[in-house]
Amino acid sequence: MTGFMLKTAAAMALAMTAATPAQAQPADAAAIVRKMHQAFFYQGESFKARVKMTLTGASGKERLRELTMLRLNTGPGGPSARPDEAVRSGLSMPKNGDQRYFMYFHSPGDVRRMAFLVYKYAAREDDRWLFIPALNLVQRIAAKDSQSSFAGSDFSYEDVSGRDLEADEHKLLREEELGGKPCHVIESVPRGSASYKRKTSWVDKANFLPLKEEYYDVQDQLFKEFLAEEVKDVDGAPTVTKRSMKSVKSGHKTVVEFSDVRYRLGLRAEELSERALRNPPGSWLK
Amino acid sequence: MKRLRDFSLAAFSVDHPRWVVALTVTITLGFLTQFPKARTDTNPKNMLPPDSEVRVSNDAVERTFGLYEDMIAVGIANESGLLNPGTLGKIKRITDEILEIPGVAARDVAGFTTIDNVTAENGTLRVSPLMGEVPKDAGGLEELRRQLFENPMFVGRIVSRDGSTGAIYVPLEKGANGKAVADQIREIVRREGGPESYHIAGDPVARDTFGTEMFKLMAIFAPLAGLVMFAVRYLMFGDLFLSIALMMDAMIAIVWSMGLLIMLGFPIHIMSSMAPVFLMAIATDSIHIFNEFYFRRKEEQDKKAAILKTMEAVGRPVRYTALATAAGFAVLLFMDIIPVRVFGGLVAFGTVLLRILSFSFVPAMFTFVREESIKKASQGEDIESSRASRLLGRLAGLGARRPWAVVLTGLAFFAVAVAGTTRIRVNNNMVEWFKASSEVRTADRVMNQALGGTSLGYLVIDSKATEDEFIKTPQALRHIEGLQRRLERLPYVGKTTSVVDYVKRINRVLHKDDPAHDTVPETKELVGQYLFLFSMSAKPSDLDNVVDPSFQKANVWVQLKTWDAKAMRDVIEAAKAYQRDTPLAMEIKPAGIAYFNLVWNDTVLWDMIKGFLLALAVIFAILAVNFRSARWAMVGYVPLLFTVVLIYGAVGIAGKDFDMPISVLSCLSLGMAVDFSIHFINRFRERISSRRASHDPESIEDALIWTAARPGKGILRNAVLFAAAFSVMLFAPLTPYVTVGAFIVSMMLLSALLCLVYIPALIVLSRNWLFAAEEVRK
Repeated sequence: MTGFMLKTAAAMALAMTAATPAQAQPADAAAIVRKMHQAFFYQGESFKARVKMTLTGASGKERLRELTMLRLNTGPGGPSARPDEAVRSGLSMPKNGDQRYFMYFHSPGDVRRMAFLVYKYAAREDDRWLFIPALNLVQRIAAKDSQSSFAGSDFSYEDVSGRDLEADEHKLLREEELGGKPCHVIESVPRGSASYKRKTSWVDKANFLPLKEEYYDVQDQLFKEFLAEEVKDVDGAPTVTKRSMKSVKSGHKTVVEFSDVRYRLGLRAEELSERALRNPPGSWLK
Repeated sequence: MKRLRDFSLAAFSVDHPRWVVALTVTITLGFLTQFPKARTDTNPKNMLPPDSEVRVSNDAVERTFGLYEDMIAVGIANESGLLNPGTLGKIKRITDEILEIPGVAARDVAGFTTIDNVTAENGTLRVSPLMGEVPKDAGGLEELRRQLFENPMFVGRIVSRDGSTGAIYVPLEKGANGKAVADQIREIVRREGGPESYHIAGDPVARDTFGTEMFKLMAIFAPLAGLVMFAVRYLMFGDLFLSIALMMDAMIAIVWSMGLLIMLGFPIHIMSSMAPVFLMAIATDSIHIFNEFYFRRKEEQDKKAAILKTMEAVGRPVRYTALATAAGFAVLLFMDIIPVRVFGGLVAFGTVLLRILSFSFVPAMFTFVREESIKKASQGEDIESSRASRLLGRLAGLGARRPWAVVLTGLAFFAVAVAGTTRIRVNNNMVEWFKASSEVRTADRVMNQALGGTSLGYLVIDSKATEDEFIKTPQALRHIEGLQRRLERLPYVGKTTSVVDYVKRINRVLHKDDPAHDTVPETKELVGQYLFLFSMSAKPSDLDNVVDPSFQKANVWVQLKTWDAKAMRDVIEAAKAYQRDTPLAMEIKPAGIAYFNLVWNDTVLWDMIKGFLLALAVIFAILAVNFRSARWAMVGYVPLLFTVVLIYGAVGIAGKDFDMPISVLSCLSLGMAVDFSIHFINRFRERISSRRASHDPESIEDALIWTAARPGKGILRNAVLFAAAFSVMLFAPLTPYVTVGAFIVSMMLLSALLCLVYIPALIVLSRNWLFAAEEVRK
């Protein structure tokens, strides 16, 4: 369930990149990563999908989680700000990449009606809340470690909502094809402490979606591997509709499948607020 | 027929000594070329094949709960407390460096900086590593102190109750070498230094260190034992050449046997690494040939004739002692454990080989001895003039003249020993294979005093209920909680951890940290939501380690403060009793390294005991065939039986655990302790019949005294040689070696003494019964 995406842009992005060669051949790696973020985490001004997570343990046993995810870009580029067309269309990264994520769980049975809300701020720690129906309690959750596992999966919070661009030093290693698609191969090395020592990403030159990522641990051994297993066009936006993250060393794996994907829902910020945890925006969850 | 063949082998060797020696040396060199191909396997775990039940079930449990086979526990102790920026900084640096060691499963290292802590402050729930950064001020330190000691999941696990000792648990990837990782950790802590003391403990450290040390010791002690034997032989016979010849006899057998083992592609395992020392011991049997040769050389002018007459006289006992020894080890071929079979086959092969060498290589070497040196050496070999011979004669005389006193004294000892054997405690403790002052054992002791325990077992609770996700029900959780409390009443259980601890912790934290809510909540739904909440932020392994994904199984971690196999046995018993007292549709199965140790030790031990009993039977049969009389076999059997019972009685009375090394020794004792009887009885009966044949009959008492004085001297020499060689082991740093040394020294001396005193007494007392059958046959 890593990145979530967008809508608007791909078509336009493609058109634009084609039109402006300078952008088609970005010289610096940071710019490629910026575009990747835009295509992967910020696509469209809002987004919704029914998400099916399959967690597979080393023993081969599977666990399922089903949820509906809503996302709204609230920074410049979101409806609450004065939209700047370039940002809105997803062509450039919002300067203030604030977002809201709302996740409503359908299954397993005992977590039904649990809901999770994240206010993501570019400049500071996220706010997170979880609604616990059995206690009728909205619990604030600290977001200190964004590299911790998301809902017991192999994806981290960062994998879901994106990592600060400046947190890593990016380097363009080479250009190569992956599965027949020309890619930028980027190496990202954290500036501070992180769960990985380095990460290698294959970014599709055509749509800037990450097709594959390899995470290396402190022992410089591969420990996590991300794969975009299925990319579909949704409303003209190339969207990763099936992705997997494999913890190589433990043999644990999580597969995330999106269905019923929509962009630009016309969501209002109030609909994704703390109040919504107890009274979820029903119309979006069907 | 057989006798003739052996005789002619000896004759051939005496006639063509150069050929025999050249051929032997060539084959030896051939086998020596195999040595560079040797592979070693230092892991005692491989005593059980990978498809053995316990390894299969342990693997399955490890997969289900994402667990590791091996874990190293690193202890950091500061008498004035850990909670100061200096020590905490060291803990952080050490942890960070440990994470980078290859073979360490970095993602699941548990220590101050990596373990997940669940807290609620200002209404915010937080699941994050306990100590992300080292607190810089008093407030930060106080906060850390509070978090550490209010959370029962930390106290006794990563920090001692008094705050002076902390631990980092370092799981290892499959196949990593525990000693190699431990050595790197030692290097890391050595660089830190300071007032803190550091301790590296855990099964992989003990096991891999033991495995490595064992090979090292074999490389030191096998040659050292050989050297001592060489020196003692030189003192006995005063001839360098013959001493070397005897030594070569053993070396050749070792090279051939080990070479064959390597050639066949077997790795040298812990058990087979002991084979050289065993073979060296068995080779001492050739001392009887030397002993007799020196007596003969004095009586016989022609050297060749002396050699051949020697072979004729000792041929039969040497053949049968070899047969008895080989049989004692060959029964191991029928055991379940592969390394035990390999070991049995290896030593049996070497024993047969030694016997062949005794009839070929040894007589051939005799022909090269210079006349003068034999003459000089054999000067002392006279039963009238030799002090040793006179003493031995007196010993046998004691048995022959006061048989009742001797037999009854023996029986009294025997009765005490039998009583002692009932007190034998079957137990194994690998850490105690190291000396009390060793680094491994000190680390283990310190950590076990301060923390929950370095030995880890699991109890897997499998729901048999039809309800889905049954583990989430308050009923199931309370059952597990009750089991934990029951286990914690056992003296050696230091700490238990289960999913219940997480659930209770979250319940409390979500209720404003109110200790009244440190309980299992009321509904399954709430449990499910708690666990989900926890999994929203915790490491996936936190929950995976204690419940399976479908919540059908829970895993209780049981930390034990001792590596005694018995402790895990008690845990299993307590769990069974709990299950009986409070029945619930659940099944409890043990797993983990503590359980594995229990099983493999038991398997090896019982396999050895089975082999021991089988060998007892086989050896009796061999004696009966050798003496062509069951009655004589019974007499010959007595010293063996007495030796074994006396030693095990002493083990029981001394309170020493009957463990795996001792069980391995049982087999050796059989093969060796019977040797003296075979020599004694064979030579005694030969003496009686030869004197009768020459119409110069001798009284039984006199014949016994002659036997004790002449072949008896060989027995004494054999025993002394043997004991001298193995006494070297008393100085070994690993206790099983000390045990082996003490065991063999006392076994040789005891069985020699029994043979020289007790057999004469028995023969005198049952002379009519023994000789009646003989007369009838004639």
